[in-house]
Amino acid sequence: MALPLQISDLEVRAGARTLLKVADLSAPAGALIGIRGPSGAGKSTFLHALSGLIEARGRLCWGEVDLIRLRPEGRTAFRAKNMGLIFQDFLLFDELSPQANAGLAGLFRVRHDRPPISARAAEALARLGVPEGRRTVGSFSGGERQRVAIARAMATDPGLLLADEPTASLDRRAADTLIDDLTSLVRASGKTLIAVSHDPHLLDRLDRILTIEDGRVTGDTGAQAA
Amino acid sequence: MREIWDGLPVLAQDLMSAGALLLPLLVVGGVLLRGFRPWSLIRALMWRFRWANLLFVLLIAVSTGMGIGLIAQERGLRTGSAQAAEKFDLVVTAPGSELTMMLAAVFLQPSAVPLLDGAAYDRIANHPQVQIAAPVAFGDSHDGAPVVGTIADFVTYLSDGEIEGRIFTRSGEAVAGAAIDLQIGDRFTPAHGRGGGADAEAHDGVQIEIVGRMARSGSPWDRAILIPIETVWEVHGLANGHPFEEGDRIGPPFAPDLFPGTPAVIVHADELWANYALRSEFTEAGETMAFFPGTVLADLYRVMGDVRQAMSVMSVVTQVLVAASVLLGLFILTRLFQRQLAMLRALGAPRRFVMAVVWGYGVSLLLAGTVLGLAFGYAAVLVLSRIVTERTDILVTASISWAEVTLALGFLSAMSLLSLVPALVVLTRPVVENLRQ
Repeated sequence: MALPLQISDLEVRAGARTLLKVADLSAPAGALIGIRGPSGAGKSTFLHALSGLIEARGRLCWGEVDLIRLRPEGRTAFRAKNMGLIFQDFLLFDELSPQANAGLAGLFRVRHDRPPISARAAEALARLGVPEGRRTVGSFSGGERQRVAIARAMATDPGLLLADEPTASLDRRAADTLIDDLTSLVRASGKTLIAVSHDPHLLDRLDRILTIEDGRVTGDTGAQAA
Repeated sequence: MREIWDGLPVLAQDLMSAGALLLPLLVVGGVLLRGFRPWSLIRALMWRFRWANLLFVLLIAVSTGMGIGLIAQERGLRTGSAQAAEKFDLVVTAPGSELTMMLAAVFLQPSAVPLLDGAAYDRIANHPQVQIAAPVAFGDSHDGAPVVGTIADFVTYLSDGEIEGRIFTRSGEAVAGAAIDLQIGDRFTPAHGRGGGADAEAHDGVQIEIVGRMARSGSPWDRAILIPIETVWEVHGLANGHPFEEGDRIGPPFAPDLFPGTPAVIVHADELWANYALRSEFTEAGETMAFFPGTVLADLYRVMGDVRQAMSVMSVVTQVLVAASVLLGLFILTRLFQRQLAMLRALGAPRRFVMAVVWGYGVSLLLAGTVLGLAFGYAAVLVLSRIVTERTDILVTASISWAEVTLALGFLSAMSLLSLVPALVVLTRPVVENLRQ
């Protein structure tokens, strides 16, 4: 189930240095949001804060849950249940098949969760056009590998998809195809997508663009709508 | 409790000891792996770093195999040498080193030893409690095998009567040990001396015929050729122990004044207890020395026991060094796939799952190494046993026992606990930091 986002006074620090400061931000469930900005501006830090991977201060609520108030294992459990993560360089196990990679969450979820995860992984792989068979993903092209990574993110049926430069490792053609598939898949399923990207082709296809500079949100194309 | 344990069959005790040793591994494994399926990831990591993993497994296997192989071999050699000396209750020689005399008389190792005279032999042979008093004479050889002069009764006693063909009945006949490459009816000329310095032409003209072959005894006597002691004396131009009027008769009794001397007399008493009295009786200052080869071997084993302890310590030190290497290797390898581990945490995998992957990976390497080590150890024992048997003719039938299996399982179990350390260290690293690397 997609969840609305509500942020207030969010601050991420590294020692005495403030890496990110977001005073107030909200987004409805099912929004497709892009985050852009120069390198080192704090985009990935923002994404990591949104996923609960780093310690932060303030309030960061996904629905009713304030991620910052959760203990680390609570945040891990929240991610497992509600979030799908997509990385720039895929982070797949090259030695495993696409199905095994996409169904990875089944390895650490309770027994009754495994069949639906496996089924959703297979369905996502099919929808994304990933070749079937017992080939390992080590032999796949970059585009195919990122599709497997997307299928892995979708397999647990999370309400939120967080993507960090999902097209950065792909050539233009593969990136465009991936953008089509990703956005249509996310819109069809009603999930929330937050993607950090430099790729204007991807950002153009999203509902709202946040610009981050020097750890601050300096631009928000959907501020009024939110 | 102790009584219940002592009442259990040995196999049950061994199995329970092995189970107790493996208990820490099973408990940790059960706790970490419960409800998870990390094996496909472990297989993937195994394959990804296959050459490094193979090296690790071989390192563990060689160290484990060496440790258990050496201990098993030492035990086999001890058992084999004890069995080889089984037939030699009491040995009487001229005074000297018991060890040197035993090696010469029992294990047929070439050695220059003083001789007992006819009077000494006569006193031993005529003792009422002595059943067999076999003089033995060494010095000649054939094709590297010692040619030993003795009496027919001793050959029968040594071989338990299991002789193909017949025993020698006159001078110039011989009974070959089981490992001698001569068949009944073959003839040979003995060389004077043994080894590289043997003079093959010293006894030219002497022909000795094989008339019998002894069954295998698992002792150096399998590679010996036994001839009447009279033949040894005769080919060396000595009196043959009998007056001229006795003609071609061989064997005891010998005339003391025509007895040229013997390095040792192997004594077999009719009663076991009598050996102690005989040892005391035949140990005369400056005249003769009597000893039990079993006692000399026991002293030797005591020294070997110290060596064994030293070997065990060395083996443990080696295992500790290997353990340290394995731990270090696990740290290095986990750093190589820490991004994948961080990704698992980012996807919501519990800490216990990540630990299960790292621990399962380490234990898989250890298990493979230990199993391979047992196989290496077994192979090493077989090869070493064969080499020792071929070189000494002491039948060494060493094998891997529960003691070695227990040692290997103990190592495996201890290392499985230590493998928790890299698994825990992985969790201390920040997820985001690892994802960025």
